[in-house]
Amino acid sequence: MRIAWRGAELRLLLPIFVLVPLGFAITNVALTGAFDGGPLHLAIGYVALLVGAHLLLVVLGHRGDQLILPAVGAMGGIGMIMLNRLPQDLAGTSAFGIELGMAATQLLWFGVGMIAMLVIAVGLRDDGILRHYKYSWAAAGILLLGATLLLGYEVNGARLWIDLGPVSVQPGEFLKIVLVIFIASYLAETRTLLTSARLRIGFLSIPPLPYFLPMLALFAVVMLIVVRLNDLGTALLFFGTFLTMLFVATGRRSYVLIGLILFVVGFTVAYQFFGHVQIRVDIWLDPFADPLGAGFQPVRALYALGRGGIFGEGLGQGLVTLGGGLTIPYVHTDFIFTAVAEELGLLGAFALLGFAAVLVFRGLRIAALARDDFSGLLAVGLTASLGLQTLIIIGGNTKLIPLTGITLPFVSYGGSSVLASFIMIGLLLAISHKSAIGADGDAGS
Amino acid sequence: MTGDILRILLLVLQLGFVALLYLVLMRFAGSLLKDLRSAEQAQLASRSGIGRLSVLESPADEPPSGTTIALGPINSIGRNVNNTIYVEDDFVSTNHAMLTFRGRSWFVEDQGSTNGTYVNGHRIDRPVALSFGDELTIGRVRMRLDR
Repeated sequence: MRIAWRGAELRLLLPIFVLVPLGFAITNVALTGAFDGGPLHLAIGYVALLVGAHLLLVVLGHRGDQLILPAVGAMGGIGMIMLNRLPQDLAGTSAFGIELGMAATQLLWFGVGMIAMLVIAVGLRDDGILRHYKYSWAAAGILLLGATLLLGYEVNGARLWIDLGPVSVQPGEFLKIVLVIFIASYLAETRTLLTSARLRIGFLSIPPLPYFLPMLALFAVVMLIVVRLNDLGTALLFFGTFLTMLFVATGRRSYVLIGLILFVVGFTVAYQFFGHVQIRVDIWLDPFADPLGAGFQPVRALYALGRGGIFGEGLGQGLVTLGGGLTIPYVHTDFIFTAVAEELGLLGAFALLGFAAVLVFRGLRIAALARDDFSGLLAVGLTASLGLQTLIIIGGNTKLIPLTGITLPFVSYGGSSVLASFIMIGLLLAISHKSAIGADGDAGS
Repeated sequence: MTGDILRILLLVLQLGFVALLYLVLMRFAGSLLKDLRSAEQAQLASRSGIGRLSVLESPADEPPSGTTIALGPINSIGRNVNNTIYVEDDFVSTNHAMLTFRGRSWFVEDQGSTNGTYVNGHRIDRPVALSFGDELTIGRVRMRLDR
């Protein structure tokens, strides 16, 4: 077998190998007033991970998309630079007698994530386990949700963490993947029925009830997340992903319309009856009403965006701490985009959005080239999920929509988020590999 | 004095960093465009049909396993040589099944065969809609519907 060199991937990765150490060096000079190396080994470690992932894909004969790894690498690189720049005691691990700061811990998670990505991208030769066991996946999802409901503890008003000894995990991040697999499998099977059969109510045509019920069940799950876990971001993400997949599978606008009506109704009800939803919306409408209390975080974030301007304050030169505390609380998770915009300016923020756009574009391309309905819908779901998550949190950071605490994929600090995002990338690569192999098979026969 | 030098150095480095960031982005744009052009050509060259069958398993080797069959809108499958898709297998009936493209979807219907028609391992008793990726079993011949 001929070795596929993945030249495009390497060409895109090369400047990133320079970019990340350069960012670390600038931060080092800005913070200490001289260049003493500082945590440069973390940048080298990050580059080494990308090189390793690239080489393994080449050696293992992977034929999948070549733009996805560099796009992820660029986003993760900007994230690593920012996390290294923030105070290192914000987060970290101290397992097995080794103390790791925040950036080092994130690097560790990138390593774990990339291994998961490679195992899935190369190992998932047959998607049967994903496709045919859909109710097992649904059960696994309900189990994850149930575990969060029963065992979860609250951070910042939302209950989405489970304590597992040395690490805390966010089951919602993995629930997301499991749900996308289930929906893709369900829609691939019932797609034709959903498109052909119809029940007319006025100008709306809805599918017959047996096919409509799982949609309603899913809506119930989403509402449960809002009400019981106070996790608006995840709820919005699930719902948006589901509607996107439903529209792609059926091509019917009426389903999207029904979904949006459900969303508006659900949101209005939630706004009326649940204090935390009301607070989020009120802060969004006018953060300056209570700038030192409820509006503290968004007000500080808006000022940080303003300080950044077009060109940014410069790496390591932003105002991260103020009066003994962080300028913006949760800057390393929810507000990492604001930190990027403050130090790299509008230019840096646009570049970050550009990399996310490349990821979404390629994800949809993988979906379009997929050989079967299930793979295509899976790719659409994974891409929609990653893209919507990026939009929801960046929108929240910039006060475009009410702030909901979710992570910015590959940029925010957080083990569960990094691992889950890499698993999704692994699945996308596996689908893309399968179509590439299939296309070659045709040419041969 | 050293403070000024440091500030200028940082500014230059910062500009270099942003420039490099956009170089990466430009390279991405270049790769995307190149892929779009080649994909367009590939599409013109290959994708004209509405679907095809990949033969996964065929003990009598007619149709040979590993090949793909281009499909028209209406395909009859059976052991009679007059069928659109001729299958040489002792477990296949003379006129076994019909595979048709209607509207936006593929459908398969058994034509009263002796041994039945199976979709993803389940025997069908009425016309059944097929999705791309579904497996169709006729006698001992296993085929998959592909785009």
